[in-house]
Amino acid sequence: MQFIAPALRNTLLKASWQYAVLMLVLLSCARQDTNRSGSSFRVGLVVPGSVADAAWNSGAYAGLQRIRDSLGLATSHIEARTPTEQIEALRTYAAQGYDLVFAHGFEFQDPAERVSATYPRTAFVVTSGRRAHGNVSPLIFRLEEASYLAGMVAGSLTRTGVLGFVGGIELPPIVAGYQGWVNGAKAMNPRVRTQSVYLNSFDDVAAGREAALALIGAGADMFHHNADAAALGLFQAVKEKRGVYVFGANADQSHLAPGHVLGSAVIDLPRAFLFIAAEIRKGNFTPRVEVFGLKSGVVRYVAASALDSLVPVKVKARMAAAADSISSGKLVAAPRPASMQASALGT
Amino acid sequence: MIRIGWAVLAGAAGLAILALGLEAAGYDSSSALTALWNGAFGSWYAFTSATLVRSVPLILIGLGIAIAFRAGVFNIGAEGQFYAGAIAATWVGLHVAGRPAALAIAMVLSASVLAGAAWVAVPVWLKLRFGVIEVISTLLLNFVAESLVSLLVQGPLQEPTGIYPQSDAIAEAARLPLLAAGRLHAGFLLACAGALVLWYLFSRTVWGFRLRAVGLGPRAAEVSGQIDSPRMGAVALLCSGCLAGLAGGVEVSGVSYALFQNLSPGYGFTGIAVALLGGLHPLGVLLSGIFMGALEAGAGAMQRDAGVPSVAVYVVEAVIIMVVLLATTPKGGWIPVRVIRRIRPAAPKAHR
Repeated sequence: MQFIAPALRNTLLKASWQYAVLMLVLLSCARQDTNRSGSSFRVGLVVPGSVADAAWNSGAYAGLQRIRDSLGLATSHIEARTPTEQIEALRTYAAQGYDLVFAHGFEFQDPAERVSATYPRTAFVVTSGRRAHGNVSPLIFRLEEASYLAGMVAGSLTRTGVLGFVGGIELPPIVAGYQGWVNGAKAMNPRVRTQSVYLNSFDDVAAGREAALALIGAGADMFHHNADAAALGLFQAVKEKRGVYVFGANADQSHLAPGHVLGSAVIDLPRAFLFIAAEIRKGNFTPRVEVFGLKSGVVRYVAASALDSLVPVKVKARMAAAADSISSGKLVAAPRPASMQASALGT
Repeated sequence: MIRIGWAVLAGAAGLAILALGLEAAGYDSSSALTALWNGAFGSWYAFTSATLVRSVPLILIGLGIAIAFRAGVFNIGAEGQFYAGAIAATWVGLHVAGRPAALAIAMVLSASVLAGAAWVAVPVWLKLRFGVIEVISTLLLNFVAESLVSLLVQGPLQEPTGIYPQSDAIAEAARLPLLAAGRLHAGFLLACAGALVLWYLFSRTVWGFRLRAVGLGPRAAEVSGQIDSPRMGAVALLCSGCLAGLAGGVEVSGVSYALFQNLSPGYGFTGIAVALLGGLHPLGVLLSGIFMGALEAGAGAMQRDAGVPSVAVYVVEAVIIMVVLLATTPKGGWIPVRVIRRIRPAAPKAHR
C-alpha cells in the first residue's frame, strides 16, 4: 500500500480531514434529546431523511416528541435512506418488541406489510401510506387541498405567468400536491404555464438550488415544492431574486426566506401522530385508513403574515369559498389515481 | 505485522475521536458506544443480519479496489460498476422464473459480473487509446450509472403498477439462499471465497507477482521483467469492475430482490476505505470489510438506542482513512508518524 500515488494520497488526506471536521461540527449542532422515559409502551419512528429538514421529517420528529411528552411513552427514531436500510430498521424495531412503529412515507407501505407479516404484535402506521393491511394502518394527508389554496395565491399574483415546482421523488402523493397547486392556480388564471422538476432525492440541497435557478431562468416567479431538505436549496435561490416567491410545504416555512415566502401548505404532523398513538395506546384500535384534509384542520394553508398585504381581499374571499367547497367535498383539489390502491409487489 | 498494527491503531483512533466528539457534544459516550457495539456484535442476529449483510458488498468491492490499487491503477468508479451489475442482475432475474435455482442464480451473477466489466471497459479503452486518466473517467461514470438506474426504474424496468420508482421483484429462483434465520445470504460465502482465491492469486501465482511488480514500478517491470504494464493495468481494472458488478448482483439477488434508485449507500466509496484499511491484502480486506459493516450496523443502533445521529460514524471512517494514509507516507509527513517510524526498527518483531 506504499505505492498510492502521492497526489491521490494528498487529495484523500485533505478530503478525509475536512470530512471528519465537518461531521464533528454537524454532530455538535444536531444535538437531539435522548428519548428516554419510564414507560413500557415503546414507540419507534423510521424517517427517510434528516430530521433537521424543517419539513416532512422534522415534523415527524416533533410528533414523536409530542407523544413522549404528552403520553409519557418511551420513544426512539432512526434515519434510513436506502430501501434496504428502511426494511432493516422496521424489522429491528419489531424484533425488539416495539409496540408502535411510525414508518414515515409512502415508500414504506410494502416494507411495512412484509415486516408486519412476521411480527403481527407491532402496530405499524405508514404516514402517507396507501391501504390498511394486517396490522398496518396508513395516515393519508390530502396536502394537495392546501396546495390548491397556495396555487390560487400564486395564480393571481404571478407577473410572468410561469409557475415552478420542485419535487423530491415522483411519488403519487407528491404528484398529487403538484396537481393541486396547478389546479388552484388555473382556477384564478387559466393561462398560467407550469413547469416541474423532480430531483430524485430528498437530500440534495445543491440539486434543489440548481433546479430552482433553471426554473427562474425559464421565467418562473412563483414556486412550490415537496422536496424536504433538498428544498432548502430552492429557498436559497429564491432569496437572491427580487420578485420571486415561494410557498412552503409540510411545515410553516416562512422563516426560511423571509420576504419571499407567501405561505405554506402545512401538515400538523404532531397532532396526527398524537391522535393515532393515543388511540393505539388505549388498546382498542383496529387497523384502518385515516384521512386528514382541510376539514380535519391537520392539513391547512398558513399565509405568511409579513406578506399578507400582497394578497388582494377578493382573492382571499375566493380562497375561503374554495376551502369550504373542498371541506364539504364539492371540489376535488386533485384526483388521486386509482392505481394508488393497488400493491406494487403483490403482497 | 506492522500493517496490522497500523490498521488496529487506525480503528482505535477513529473510535477514540468519536468518543471525544460525543462527550464534547454533550452525549453520554459510554452508552452510545455500548449501543454501537450491541448493534454490531451484541447478538447473533445483529452480527449476521446487520453486520455481515452490510459487509458483503463492502468486501467484494474492497477486493476489486485492492486489485486495481495493487496494479497501480485507481478505480474510483466502483459505485457505478455496482449499479451496472445491479441493473444486469435485475434484468436477468426478472426473466428466469421457472428455471432451476442453481442455473438462475448462476445466470444472474454472471450477468452482473459482465455488466461490471463492461462498465469499466469504457475507461480502460479511453486510457489505452487516448491516455485518459482513469481516476476521472471511472469517477464520472458513477453519475451516468446512477442516472441510468433512475431512468430504468421510471421506464422499462418499472414495476407493473407504475407507482413506485423501483423494479418488480426478481423471480424466486434467482434469489440467493439464506444461510440462517435472518437476512444473511450465500453472498457472504462468495465474498469469503473471493478473498481466498485472490490471496492465492496474489501470493502464489506468477500473474499475481507480475501485477504487484507493475504496481511497484511499471517501468522497472517492463524493462527487467518484460511485462506489458499498460495491459496489466487494464486487466486489473477489468477484474476490479467484475467484482464491483458482482457486488451489485449479490445485493439485488441476496438482499433487495429489486432495483431501486438509491440501492447503494455509497458502497463504492466506502469500499476504497475498506481496501486501504485492509492494507490491500485480500484477507485484510475481508476483516476490514466486516469491521466497516459493523460500524455501519452499529451506527443505526446508536441512533435508535442512544439518540446519537448516525452520521457520527462517518467521523470514524474519515479518521481511519487519515491514519492509514499517514501511516503509508513514504517518509516524513506528520511528526508523530515519523517518530513511530524512527522507533520501529528497534522493535523485535518488526519484520515482514
